Amino acid sequence: MEWLLELLQILIFPGIVFAIVLAFVYEWFDRKIYAKLQNRVGPLYTGKSGILQPFADFVKLLAKEDITPGEVDKPLFNALPIVALTLSLMGFLALPITGLRGIISFNGDLIFLIALMTLICIVIIYSGISSSNRFSTVGAERAALQLLGYEIPMMLSAISIGILAGSMWVYDIVNTQVSGIWFLVGPSILGFAIFVLCGQAELERIPFDIPEAETEIVAGWLTEFSGKKLALFRLTKDVELLYLSGLAVALFLGGPSGPVISGLEPILYPIYFLLKTLFVLFLLTTLRALFARLRIDQMVNFSWKYLVPLAILQVLLVRVIV
Amino acid sequence: MQKEEFQRTEKKSAYELFFDMPVGPQHPALKEPAFFKFKVEGERVIGVDADVSYNHRGIEKALEYRNYIQNIYLIERICGICNVAHTLCYAQAVEQLHGKEIPPRANYIRLMIEELARIHSHALWLGVAAHEIGFDTLFMYVWRDREVVMDIIEMLTGNRVTTAINTIGGVRRDVSDEAKYKVKKGMDILEERLKYYRNVALNDPTVNARCSDVGILKPRDAIRLCAVGPTLRASGVKNDVRLDDPYTLHDEVPFNIVTCDTMDVLGRVVVRVDEMLESVNMVRYCLEHMPNGDVKIKLSLSPPVGEAISRVEAPRGELIHYARSNGTKNPERYKVRTPTFGNIPAVCDMLTSKGDYEVNIADIPITLASIDPCFSCTARMEFRDVSKSKTWVWSLEELKAHCKK
Repeated sequence: MEWLLELLQILIFPGIVFAIVLAFVYEWFDRKIYAKLQNRVGPLYTGKSGILQPFADFVKLLAKEDITPGEVDKPLFNALPIVALTLSLMGFLALPITGLRGIISFNGDLIFLIALMTLICIVIIYSGISSSNRFSTVGAERAALQLLGYEIPMMLSAISIGILAGSMWVYDIVNTQVSGIWFLVGPSILGFAIFVLCGQAELERIPFDIPEAETEIVAGWLTEFSGKKLALFRLTKDVELLYLSGLAVALFLGGPSGPVISGLEPILYPIYFLLKTLFVLFLLTTLRALFARLRIDQMVNFSWKYLVPLAILQVLLVRVIV
Repeated sequence: MQKEEFQRTEKKSAYELFFDMPVGPQHPALKEPAFFKFKVEGERVIGVDADVSYNHRGIEKALEYRNYIQNIYLIERICGICNVAHTLCYAQAVEQLHGKEIPPRANYIRLMIEELARIHSHALWLGVAAHEIGFDTLFMYVWRDREVVMDIIEMLTGNRVTTAINTIGGVRRDVSDEAKYKVKKGMDILEERLKYYRNVALNDPTVNARCSDVGILKPRDAIRLCAVGPTLRASGVKNDVRLDDPYTLHDEVPFNIVTCDTMDVLGRVVVRVDEMLESVNMVRYCLEHMPNGDVKIKLSLSPPVGEAISRVEAPRGELIHYARSNGTKNPERYKVRTPTFGNIPAVCDMLTSKGDYEVNIADIPITLASIDPCFSCTARMEFRDVSKSKTWVWSLEELKAHCKK
């Protein structure tokens, strides 16, 4: 029976179905907060306060005509949306939600989780290039440059937590936070800030939405994707948003832990997880509303001038403490 | 000239990997159809080729088939946003044909509506510019506050955008005392908000990063390429029709010409915001000094034979109307020169990398937007063979070659 339970965990809760439902709800939350910050109402009509709007958008896109242009690299072009979604869902499975360890959990999985994010970015670069569209090519080029900018500070800030916990296992990291040192108020607040900023770049949101800058290069690497493929990519972005805020929570905010009544952990842990990820999402959304889009050279400049030195400082700080 | 520039830079390049990037006729950065073919090398823009004749509506010809009263409504639709400037310019031209002066109260109302329209146009532009650099929050805020002036315009004229207030011989509606009070209150709100936006434009780091040193237009180039309006003034050239050739009451109502010597997009933002503040003061002056009296005089439907040229400082720059009357009810020839048309060579210059000045693809939308383009009023001429139902456009060179034949 254990394999059936595991299968249900992977497929339904806290697995794929849960991730997708939550991703839609989080997109709604993101849009609603973003609208509120801009003095608008945001999604309103589909469902209560428009909560079903992201799902309706997804279904609508699935029903739209799916065009594969003649000049594209067909196998790559058709496979990439599925690969991207798979990668982001795989990342979600490794997050601790119902307990202190995720469904996939092994020693050294922090490296795996970071690698997944880079892989998603590489999928983006490939999808831009495989489209053989001028705007897509420019978008892919920008995505690659942006990767150079944010990847290193993001890794450093994640690894600094690993050093603090003395392990590269997310389970250990969460455990260290539960059993004593409350990280965020201590040395890792800088790391958290860097991680959230780089997360914004990873998710291609303002001020780092450079690879898909609408007014400049139409939709960037997404330009040629339509119908089902576009729907899958949009879903990927949502799941990635969820995954990234989940990872930030696991690394910096003590994962799903919190004050618990013994015996009620399986119920309380997911609730804490939701509250904490919503907090991170709120930060990400606020950042989105505050700035204008940077230019790619300014972004890389900013990252190497400020983020990388600060990330190195964070690692040094942690080394000194440990 | 553009083609020579292409060849010169092509030889210099180290990579020799160019491609043409089309912006338009349909592109998220452009709100109206125009086509800019950019030669790019990676992120760097090397040259640009512009084609603005995508929306020829034959308005000048259509004007010749309608009488002077009907033409007011057609003229108004040359451009939705600067409709007040167009009707004002038209009404002035026709009054010039008649050789008549309009009552002073009508002049005050005309000036007030013109300045209100300038505020609304510049506020619209500020929002669009914020959107072009991806600052949607500023976009939403500016457009929310723009509603104040829209409501005022609606109260005074009956319409939010297409005001239809200017007519031949005066204005169509008078301003009541109650309306004056409301306008005054609206101006106070606007002044406060505009000062805030000026602060945002000058102090926000990301806005500064995207706007300063982008779209440089040197004063010498600006004059050589016949730039007009805020584009010219942001290059430090003190040029404004309201000052150089005062119409309505611009010689009476005090105002400052706003210039900026930064020569870049940020300068254009600041010039436009400051101009809005100047307009707020001018509207206040008009409200206080408005004399009593008629708002309209009656003029005959067919002006005497003659020609007239009228100039107006539209929100986008100098607007010129030319009218020729042959004594009938319809004009014999009518010609419109819109400010965007005058700014196209300047914007092409801004978008060409030369020497140390580099243009990135990311700078394209904001630089294009910085002249406040309104392409639908630029297409002036096309050729049509009725028997073959074929339509085409000729460039100047082709036209010259055809004439020589």
